[in-house]
Amino acid sequence: MKIDPETCTGCEACVPYCPVQAIQIKEGVAVIDDDECVECGVCFRSGACSVDSIQEVPLSWPRVIRAVLSNPLIESPDTRIPGRGTEEVKTNDVTGRIKPGFIGLALEMGRPGTGTSFRDVQKVTRALAGMGVEFEPQNPVTFWITDKKTGKIRDDILNEKSLSAIVECSFPLDKLKAVIKQVQAVAQQIDTVFSVTTCVKVAPDGSLPTDKIFKELGITPYPDSKNNVGLGRPLFQFEEVSS
Amino acid sequence: MTHSLHRLGTSENLSHDYPLICMAAHGMNEEGAAGKMGKFLEICRRHGPVNFGDMKQGSIFVHDADDIIRNITNTTLVQCVFDDIKKVEAVLRDLREADLGLSVVVSGLTDAARECCQKVGLEIHTVSQSLGIWGKTSRLPSREVLEITTMCGHGMTSSSLVEKMIEDIKKGKNSPQKAAEKLAKPCECGIFNPSRAAELLAAAAAK
Ligand code: SF4
Ligand code: SF4
Repeated sequence: MKIDPETCTGCEACVPYCPVQAIQIKEGVAVIDDDECVECGVCFRSGACSVDSIQEVPLSWPRVIRAVLSNPLIESPDTRIPGRGTEEVKTNDVTGRIKPGFIGLALEMGRPGTGTSFRDVQKVTRALAGMGVEFEPQNPVTFWITDKKTGKIRDDILNEKSLSAIVECSFPLDKLKAVIKQVQAVAQQIDTVFSVTTCVKVAPDGSLPTDKIFKELGITPYPDSKNNVGLGRPLFQFEEVSS
Repeated sequence: MTHSLHRLGTSENLSHDYPLICMAAHGMNEEGAAGKMGKFLEICRRHGPVNFGDMKQGSIFVHDADDIIRNITNTTLVQCVFDDIKKVEAVLRDLREADLGLSVVVSGLTDAARECCQKVGLEIHTVSQSLGIWGKTSRLPSREVLEITTMCGHGMTSSSLVEKMIEDIKKGKNSPQKAAEKLAKPCECGIFNPSRAAELLAAAAAK
């Protein structure tokens, strides 16, 4: 994103719209800090600028990944899913991606509102890879992990930043305590935040297999949750997996 | 796993906040999904949502509602927000009847969502929970600002804009309702709840 210094009047109207505070007024005109800008497009779409000084510029690799992960209107070229490029729990009734006995874990780096560097993303992917998790194949971040065993991310994107990068994986439930401890440790080593999501198939009695484990870990989930209500067809038959 | 999750709030103020999502599983049931997602939004619309939209087009705060429904494509996802669980119950009843065959996700207070599904005869299949925000939390804005910004799961509604809206309301330059609508616009997918935002803005400005 660029601001045309010739036409910008320095009115400041665009400044509060930037989720990562990358727009500043310098010497009477608005200037975008290229390193901080995550190419989310909010300033451009906001209509805040009455003189059309905010201009979208074509992005090439590797900078384009900022837009793919930050601008939810852009569809991931790897997964063909807009938003942040993942389907996860939303279609689990049809895909059976998260099976009984397993847990899905998503660490959304940079959320809420701080953004993340890919060096920090790599710290997290390395920590998870060490636990032997399986990274979700249909996720744009997974496409950029060059070695799933070590969690190494391709070198040419390590200096990039995005508003969000979802590190998504699954593993057997009996690993949950160890993985959570590892995630708690890596959380101390990064310069940003992440929002933590877990995803499980509901047990036949309506309970969640994670309830007891979270209690033992002293973790209280938020009072709200995201519930797939099983309306998708054809309904995935989990019996096929165990037979 | 996530754009309708991680909404920070109390049990009291979250009781006015229920996002719904509908989408096809790619490569599995996406053929004809556009029309079905349109029907999903039509059903939601009958029951008075506070916002809705399409991930690829935007929300009703930026585009015409009929145009959004007309221009849905198979590979998108659509979403809608209600401020009353009774409306969600009515929507789920209609969706069950319509049997669209696409996946539907209901977010919101866990107990309320469970009770609502039970009443309608739906069994919750898979659940995502939020374990909160970890890492360098010193970088976060205040909780009252976060309760509003986290309603845009893609982070499009900035903390600076929320802070400005609170100041504008304090100065009498804007009403909580108008300010909430302004905050709903950057949220492209239509999952931001302007009705709950207006409540939260009014409370923050009254401090
Ligand atoms: S594109 Fe997004 S990050 Fe970049 S200046 Fe505009 S609002 Fe800020
Ligand atoms: S809104 Fe436009 S004119 Fe005003 S500071 Fe921003 S770029 Fe410049």
